[in-house]
Amino acid sequence: MNKLARPTFANNATRPRTRRDGIHGIAFFSAIASCAIICLIILTLFVQSAPALTQAGDSLLSTRWNPAEGVYGIIPMVFGSIFVMLIAISIALPLGLLAAIAISRIKHKTLKRVTKSALEILAGIPSIVYGLIGVAYVSLWVAGLFDLQSGRIILTAGLILAVMILPTFLSLAEDAISSVPKAYYENASALGLYPYETQLSVILPAAAPAIMSAALLALGRALGETMAVMLVIGSLDRLPSPLFNPLSSGQTITSKLGREIGESAFGSTHFSALILMSFILVMITIALTIASRRIFKSAKTS
Amino acid sequence: MNRRIVNTLFSSVSNLGLWLCTACLLFLLGAIVWQGANAVSLEFLLSPARDFGKSGGILFQILGSLLLVIVAALLVLPVAVGTAIFRQSYIKSRAAKDALDMVLYALNAIPSVTYGIFGLIFFVNILGTGLSWFVGSIILAVMMLPTVTLASHSAMQSLSLHYAENAAALGFTRGETVLRVILPQSSHGIVTGLLIALARAIGETAPIMFIATAFSGVGLPRSLFEPVATLPTHILALAQQSTDPQALANAWGASLMLVIFVTLLSSLAFFARNKLNKLSQRS
Repeated sequence: MNKLARPTFANNATRPRTRRDGIHGIAFFSAIASCAIICLIILTLFVQSAPALTQAGDSLLSTRWNPAEGVYGIIPMVFGSIFVMLIAISIALPLGLLAAIAISRIKHKTLKRVTKSALEILAGIPSIVYGLIGVAYVSLWVAGLFDLQSGRIILTAGLILAVMILPTFLSLAEDAISSVPKAYYENASALGLYPYETQLSVILPAAAPAIMSAALLALGRALGETMAVMLVIGSLDRLPSPLFNPLSSGQTITSKLGREIGESAFGSTHFSALILMSFILVMITIALTIASRRIFKSAKTS
Repeated sequence: MNRRIVNTLFSSVSNLGLWLCTACLLFLLGAIVWQGANAVSLEFLLSPARDFGKSGGILFQILGSLLLVIVAALLVLPVAVGTAIFRQSYIKSRAAKDALDMVLYALNAIPSVTYGIFGLIFFVNILGTGLSWFVGSIILAVMMLPTVTLASHSAMQSLSLHYAENAAALGFTRGETVLRVILPQSSHGIVTGLLIALARAIGETAPIMFIATAFSGVGLPRSLFEPVATLPTHILALAQQSTDPQALANAWGASLMLVIFVTLLSSLAFFARNKLNKLSQRS
């Protein structure tokens, strides 16, 4: 087939008349605006976090946060974010994967679609409503279960977060499992494998890159979630003791931002230290998303 | 046989996982609907909040939320469609396409609270707008941008090559091809993307709580630079006084309304995709 017979929108369709018109101008301007927005956001955060780096200096790496003394240690918040995220993904990933396998086994097409879209409703519930449920139910259950005075602790935040990232991960993992070619199943059953052997040693390895990509996306969402975490984590700017004690109150980067941005004065070191945390968070979530995208793309082409 | 037992065990465990997820869903929806239904009445929907939200209704919160997201949708639509068209029809190099994709995915990755902080620094403090619902709409529009652009673009990408061939054969310029062929044929993707983004935006709290909203004593804004009340920030304020049963009841009522709006927009997106898909294939 020669090149003239296969024009594309981008290259050959209008070869005879390639003058720039109004549409081109609008489209060009929009694309530039999209790129400018992200540059502006990152630049603004970077510029605003500079005062903290110069004025607070070493104290940023301490484990104490006390604006009155000018000590802005971000370690407790960074640790809190990672700890809550770990709790959330160690619940959501296994559960999501098991559920995705169970859904992929459903033979009835309509039932399968209904089950999947019903679970996707979970993803649509706004995070503030998850927060309300955390305050009104989950924190009370957790307090009763462990005999605590208050259920606003790291564990509660992790549990709520697990349910919040579950639907996204589940749905993407199920897509990954469903897109494994039929021939894999047929060959596996021709070899006499039991369904569980097929699923564990044939299907999951084949879908692994796409599942990995979904997991990274879920991880990024877990780190960036604000409202629900903020309401149930207890807002304590200290490292838990002992360190990995999920029953202690804590603070994540996002809950700290949500609580304190409004109280700190624009331009102060306090404000700048908060922005620095936000800058670190943005860099991590962008890196995770791009890594997830890379893995997904390479899985598709291979 | 051993393998048979393991097989049964594995399938029961994975079914258990699915049941557990379903139980979560049923509990969440049940709690929202049950608690919300006790609080919602026609009077609750149509009267303004009193006593810091503890009594009265949520009229201005509903109107404020709708105002914010509708203006955000109007702001994002031209930019998102323009970007999608540029990605589809005007970029030639692979590297530039990848770079634009990267920008969109990065925008999607930014945590919602960061958008609020950016708005606070850039608009409220540097440009000196003060608390303003319009700034809230701008920030929500930025958050919606990647969703709408990616949905529009994937609809454009899935158009058959015949459309381009025929347009070229008719002597259309690239601009005419975009206006008369690509845009009408991908309208289902644009509308679907917009509705999905709206469903997400109306539930967002973190991006607007520093920059666009006030909790009490707010009616409809008379200028661009006044705060409004919204459903999510109202729930936030009430959830923080959760020891007061009356405040909690009103928080549930507002939550139910919010979830209803989200569900409505999501189902509209679902139908728009199916319906417009058929229409545009026919013409």
